[in-house]
Amino acid sequence: MKMKKILSLLLAASLALGLLAGCGGDTTTSQDPGNGTSQGTEASGSPASDVTIQVAALLSAYEETYPGMWEEVCEAFTAETGIQVDLTVDRNIEDVIGPSMQGGDYPDVVHLATGRDAGLTEQFINDQLLTDITDVLSMTIPGEDTTVGDKIIEGFTETSATNPYGDGKTYLAPMFYSPCGLFYNAGLFEEKGWEVPTTWDEMWALGDVALEEGIYLFTYPTAGYFDAFLYALMNVVGGPEFFNAATTYEEGIWDTPESDALFEILDRLADYTNPITPAQANDQDFTMNQQLVLDNEALFMPNGTWIVGEMAQAPRADGFEWGMTALPALEEGGMGYSYTFLEQAWIPSGAEHVDEAKQFIAFLYSDTAADIFAKGNAVQPIRGMTDQLEGDNQLFYSIYDNGAGAAMGSFAAYSAIPGIDNTTVFFEPINSLVSGTLTIEQWKANIISATDQMRANLLS
Amino acid sequence: MKRSKRRTGFLLVCVAPAVILFFIFMIVPTINVFRMSLFERGAYSPTETFVGFQNFETLFQDTRFIQAMQNTILLIVVVTIITFALALVFAGILTREKLRGQNFFRVVFYIPNILSVVVISGIFSAIYQPENGLLNSIIGLFTDMTDPILWKGETLVMLSLIIAMIWQAVGYYMVMYMASMAAVPLDLYESASLDGAGRVRQFFQITIPLIWTNIRTTLTFFIISTINMAFLFVKAMTSGGPNGASEVALSYMYGQKDAGLYGYSMAIGVVIFLFSFILSALVNRATKREALQY
Repeated sequence: MKMKKILSLLLAASLALGLLAGCGGDTTTSQDPGNGTSQGTEASGSPASDVTIQVAALLSAYEETYPGMWEEVCEAFTAETGIQVDLTVDRNIEDVIGPSMQGGDYPDVVHLATGRDAGLTEQFINDQLLTDITDVLSMTIPGEDTTVGDKIIEGFTETSATNPYGDGKTYLAPMFYSPCGLFYNAGLFEEKGWEVPTTWDEMWALGDVALEEGIYLFTYPTAGYFDAFLYALMNVVGGPEFFNAATTYEEGIWDTPESDALFEILDRLADYTNPITPAQANDQDFTMNQQLVLDNEALFMPNGTWIVGEMAQAPRADGFEWGMTALPALEEGGMGYSYTFLEQAWIPSGAEHVDEAKQFIAFLYSDTAADIFAKGNAVQPIRGMTDQLEGDNQLFYSIYDNGAGAAMGSFAAYSAIPGIDNTTVFFEPINSLVSGTLTIEQWKANIISATDQMRANLLS
Repeated sequence: MKRSKRRTGFLLVCVAPAVILFFIFMIVPTINVFRMSLFERGAYSPTETFVGFQNFETLFQDTRFIQAMQNTILLIVVVTIITFALALVFAGILTREKLRGQNFFRVVFYIPNILSVVVISGIFSAIYQPENGLLNSIIGLFTDMTDPILWKGETLVMLSLIIAMIWQAVGYYMVMYMASMAAVPLDLYESASLDGAGRVRQFFQITIPLIWTNIRTTLTFFIISTINMAFLFVKAMTSGGPNGASEVALSYMYGQKDAGLYGYSMAIGVVIFLFSFILSALVNRATKREALQY
């Protein structure tokens, strides 16, 4: 009997062990053979080199538009410099390179933006595991005689998106950028004779008019899309000064008139949001929220230029035409803002071939590489690039020429705090606000107490 | 003597691969989880700092973790009770009653079990859709649905998860109970009915006591698998949203790892480990009965 007892205890223990087996140690995740391509690129007639660098890039909508985009760039790089490239492109690149990085094997160059769910780039920033690439800006681009810094549009290497520690040093190269704004059905506006609002007062007026026709003013794909929205809104209510103060968690910043204006807009916006939005605001159903705009059930949604490709196959209302506008100004004569979403490329500090990796990053700004990327609609912050755009993209990227201010940068890096991160503090609560389970005052109080901790943990 | 030594050697060689693999892939990682929970480090950071029990102290003040734990317990309790009740009743009906299309029902009930959780989540996401979903469309036949029911909204999301998880699990346990119910001798039922016991009474006084050992074992098994399954369902159906309303312990642990808190997420792992271990032991103790023989 006693034996039996021990045996059953052991059995229960081993069952419980099974629970944890997946959590500890270095687990390896299998790679989806459908998405992942991993091969070396060889080029004949180029100077021989025995160095092979490892490049890991995210398979995003750009690569889908023009499959083989990254491979072509790597081949061109090998042809130019003789350095071999071992390329890995995957939709879930974090899962592919993560386990080996935990084992100490790092790629030399990683192209992966901040703001992803897995937050891999943020972890490298927060743990200060990036190589300083400030000197790349003064490097001559392989095959050209201009330097990288001369080609990059001014301002792109001066924000927290590339200089996360605010010390003037660049750690992340600004790669593809995309203006984010409010997307709408331009055809519907034309049909109804509505004007695209330029101030928030006009926005609310339009909201009332549209609601009479059964159309809600607003929806959003997931709460994660509020990053670009909130960054732009911070600029709208208080200009870059407020944005900088808020994203560096300045004390008392959430008790200013600018902050009141921001919360008032969020509060009203929640009332005008299509109430089914939060129930679909997850990674599985977010396209249903985007569909609300295509079906004329909501007027505006915050999004990026990739939406056109993402929803290309989706059914839509008659006469649908994509339109995009910056966030309206606070009042007449004020400035509207559009956030610039930026994807970054960086070198882990554990990389083996740092010099070659820097050459690779420099090469990414060459005309050859830029032309290849442009085929996938990926636009780099290179002078003169926007002049070559066509179609919808031309309209989207001209948003800044039409008077909107450009918002750039993101929340300053802080060492990780248990239970508190940007998403849960600043973005996710919009779901509860729309559902009516959270008041704007509660949200504000949460932000204030969370930013106190973020400020105390700032890295710089 | 020599022969028995050789025999022992042979047995050792036979068992060694399994033991070694079990040690490397189960014991070592688990010990590692316990060790890591006392450190603070990022998943990719080469340095680690010893912080003692600080991760655990923070953990018990972390409201998001407490919410995730509450959700986990809710799932364990509700899903277990309803799944077991349904599985037992269905198994009882399918073994004891003469029904038309009995085999058809067996297959139908078992099908969810061969589907992957991702597929089930996809099916239920479609069913729960606010505007064109199956559920709202059916309810819409009877009432006005201008304000659709938000099955995956903040208030109902846990209920929606519970329904999907029960649907997935019932068939498997039903088949298990059918197997042990089939082994109960028919003469017991015969004499019981001669004594005037009805179907329901037979079910509670003969069937359940006689398959009690089976129920006990599956109960322990089920509690632990619910903790695991909840993670899969949450990942594939709700991503823990809206605003953390459907976060469960394991998905919260996973999220904290992504936030760069490897040590902290391991501390969560330790708490879940101890929790499931203690819970299984308690259930085991509470369900202890004198074993009945037939």
